[in-house]
Amino acid sequence: MKNLFLIFISTILINNFVLTYFLGICPFLGVSGRIESAFGMGMAVTFVMTLATSISWLIYHNILTAFNLIFLEYVVFILVIASLVQIVEMFIRKFSPALYQALGLYLPLITTNCAILGAALFMVAKNYGFAEAVTFGFSGGLGFSLVLLIMAGIRQELNYADIPQVFKGASITLITAGLLSLIFMGFSGLISA
Amino acid sequence: MNDIVISILSLGLIGLGFSLLLAFLNKKLRVKEDPLIEKTLNLLPGLNCGACGSSGCRAFAENIIKHKKIFNGCLPGGKELNETLIKLLGIDAKVSDHKLVLVCHCGADKQQKKKSHSYQGPKNCVAADIISAGYDCIYSCLGFGDCIEVCPTAALSLKDEKIHIDQEKCISCGRCVKKCPRRLFELTPAREPMDSFFVACNSKEKGKNVTAVCKRGCIGCGICTRVDNSPFYLKNNLAYLDYSRIEQLKPLEEAKSKCPTKCIDRIVPITIYV
Repeated sequence: MKNLFLIFISTILINNFVLTYFLGICPFLGVSGRIESAFGMGMAVTFVMTLATSISWLIYHNILTAFNLIFLEYVVFILVIASLVQIVEMFIRKFSPALYQALGLYLPLITTNCAILGAALFMVAKNYGFAEAVTFGFSGGLGFSLVLLIMAGIRQELNYADIPQVFKGASITLITAGLLSLIFMGFSGLISA
Repeated sequence: MNDIVISILSLGLIGLGFSLLLAFLNKKLRVKEDPLIEKTLNLLPGLNCGACGSSGCRAFAENIIKHKKIFNGCLPGGKELNETLIKLLGIDAKVSDHKLVLVCHCGADKQQKKKSHSYQGPKNCVAADIISAGYDCIYSCLGFGDCIEVCPTAALSLKDEKIHIDQEKCISCGRCVKKCPRRLFELTPAREPMDSFFVACNSKEKGKNVTAVCKRGCIGCGICTRVDNSPFYLKNNLAYLDYSRIEQLKPLEEAKSKCPTKCIDRIVPITIYV
């Protein structure tokens, strides 16, 4: 239990996917314009990441290691993620049209989100058990959402700030992202190894 | 050799499993969509301007089909489109002849309005309005063009720090009406060719204070209200035009020519159906 809690905290704050591993930067910069869409994207990523890590874990340990096919992990994980996103999209569309309206646009984007593939690969590299892998995926998604929301909040305020001409647009966004990353380095002492 | 066969087989099987699952779920979870929605969508202009009150053209189409009601209709589409929509839905409704024409209640350009200080803050109207920056007249157009940014058809432009409305491009969606922090825009009911008059000033100051800061402001003299059959009226030192009382063109033209500060303006009627 303590182990799971440690994974939870460390994946959200210390080893954050976006700010420490620099994974999933594309949606981090692309969808952080408005808080509402950032929240939608964050929830969708959390959902898919949790499912993807758990199913990848099952396939990896029951099929790939059993037949000694570990070199296929990349291909298989991509296959799993792409199909999962499709299935999730169909389910949501059928059973919750309101949620589909909110997430619809972001779901296909997740297929190419490298943070998801990253989560699946890290889970293998760190030799996690099933419960640990699911926790890892879930908290990874939550960490992604947290950073996305913080970024969206800052960018909404930036719209009203008097930014020098040369820094406008992409450059101030990247500078903000860099500063955020530095700030998150402050969490690194939170859990001592 | 054995490795290759096993990897091809297992990867193929995993892929096949997923694709079968997807195919099965696709059949099982298919959402039936009303074919009417697609038909309506093809008719709508697809600007997603939001003038109808829905978030976009698709939401509007779903809304009118669900409720069997046209609501306010599609503004950019005009009369013809709304009549087609009514026919398509098979409901009983009438489309009014009134068209909405956008007017801006500040007609003073750079030379006419006084500016005695410079403003260094963020270059947008919302921020400038908070501290009443810009021109000396606190009712005037701020000239940073927030309205230009929200206009979906690029009908607005700044000329000499005065808003110019391209009536042929304007679709009366009302985004600028909501955006302008000084509420300078108004969608006026129009009946050609009498539609095209409006008071190009929004200042509720007394005449003396208006002339001190602007050469084209309404001074509240009331000359326009004393013309025969005049549809104008005075309120808070400002002349207003009551569009429901317009019957003839003559009092409007007379009021326009008599206005001492020339702040009654006329939009030249657009001839779209040539």
